[in-house]
Amino acid sequence: MTINWGLALQTLPVLLQGAVLTLELTAGAVAIGVVLGLFLALGRLSHTGVLRVVCRAYIDFFRGTPLLAQLFLTGFGLPQLFGWQSQPENYPFIAATLTMGLNSGAYVAEIFRGGIQSIDRGQTEAARSLGMSHAQALRYIILPQAIKRVIPPLGNEFIAMLKDSSLVAILAIEELMYAGKIMVGRTFQPLPIYLMVTLIYLVMTVIISQILARVERWLGKSDLR
Amino acid sequence: MIYVKNLHKYFGQLEVLKGIDCHVREKEVVVVIGPSGSGKSTFLRCLNKLEEPTAGDIVIDGIPLNSEVNVNAIRREVGMVFQRFNLFPHMTALRNVALAPEIVRGTSKKEAEEAGLELLDKVGLSDKAHEYPERLSGGQQQRVAIARALAMRPKVMLFDEPTSALDPEMVGEVLAVMKTLANEGMTMVVVTHEMGFAREVGDRVIFMDEGVIVEEGAPDEVFANPRNPRTQAFLSKIL
Repeated sequence: MTINWGLALQTLPVLLQGAVLTLELTAGAVAIGVVLGLFLALGRLSHTGVLRVVCRAYIDFFRGTPLLAQLFLTGFGLPQLFGWQSQPENYPFIAATLTMGLNSGAYVAEIFRGGIQSIDRGQTEAARSLGMSHAQALRYIILPQAIKRVIPPLGNEFIAMLKDSSLVAILAIEELMYAGKIMVGRTFQPLPIYLMVTLIYLVMTVIISQILARVERWLGKSDLR
Repeated sequence: MIYVKNLHKYFGQLEVLKGIDCHVREKEVVVVIGPSGSGKSTFLRCLNKLEEPTAGDIVIDGIPLNSEVNVNAIRREVGMVFQRFNLFPHMTALRNVALAPEIVRGTSKKEAEEAGLELLDKVGLSDKAHEYPERLSGGQQQRVAIARALAMRPKVMLFDEPTSALDPEMVGEVLAVMKTLANEGMTMVVVTHEMGFAREVGDRVIFMDEGVIVEEGAPDEVFANPRNPRTQAFLSKIL
């Protein structure tokens, strides 16, 4: 069978549509992951023992099991629990975004925890000695400094999530990977199409890392103002 | 102003403070001296509960230091200056000074910043109000830190080796600010190795060693005629 390289271009519009969905999925998961991760990190550092244990267990579960298994559980397992004969149309997308967000939250929590713990103890002591509460010290003193430090590892996490979003193809969500798979099914030309899919991922991750590098430089500048 | 009774502090098995009794009167300047590891800083840090005392009573300005509510109340009345300044690096000098009054006392931003500028002026740094700490020398940073503590209008100021992290040429500017404060009638507890300051500004000197107060008295007395052999040994090494 001859390789039809032209297909790479012909399928591009469909693949780009898939890429848009990939970005939406990733953005949703990032948003959930960052908010959840921040609270999990604070929970892990809290003085309340129960909260620490719960957050620790959550993080262990989501970091200690494959994202693919988690996606199977929410994508196929939960509908069984709900007793659905047929799923609502947008269920796979919502389930996938949530699962990725919940999964990412565990990793982001550890990033935030590291960032918070890297801030010198003297900062907390100075804040507390001025009469600030624990929460005020966190909000005004510790977090603003910690967030600057976690931007690079958070960027890595975003990029990892963008790539991992290809796993949701198994839920038949027409993101980039699944769109590619469909096109291959129609044309039996895996090489040009999957090559194109791969390239589109590469372009997206490169663009994101460029943006993150700018954010980092901008934040770094504000240190020297 | 400050009453301390039978204060003990353990770090694990190690007993760092072995029963401290101390009374600081209003407007008094008490200078705490002693070899490193003698428990001076730990003692000071117990006074605003940056360290949790293992046993003993502390009462400051009539408020016993025994509940979380009281701890925050006391911290509002007790300013602290640290060896390593601990300025907030992500804020200008002025924001460093104005933040706590705004969020802890509820002062308006305008008022807090006006008061902050006055305080920076008092420590001789009104021209550095909009600089970030990174751009300031050690002596300037420590003076901002003093202004920051004063912004809460504390009744007591604690100084934890405020000049020990400074280059020698910057020690004088910080001591000068502290001297002004003392002359204005601020109640101060100062842990320091600056014996000149202790002698000139201190109303009373406390010599600590191995977790106990070994000797205390008027500076002239303690420096000229130390009675305890441990005080004599310490002073002969540093004077």
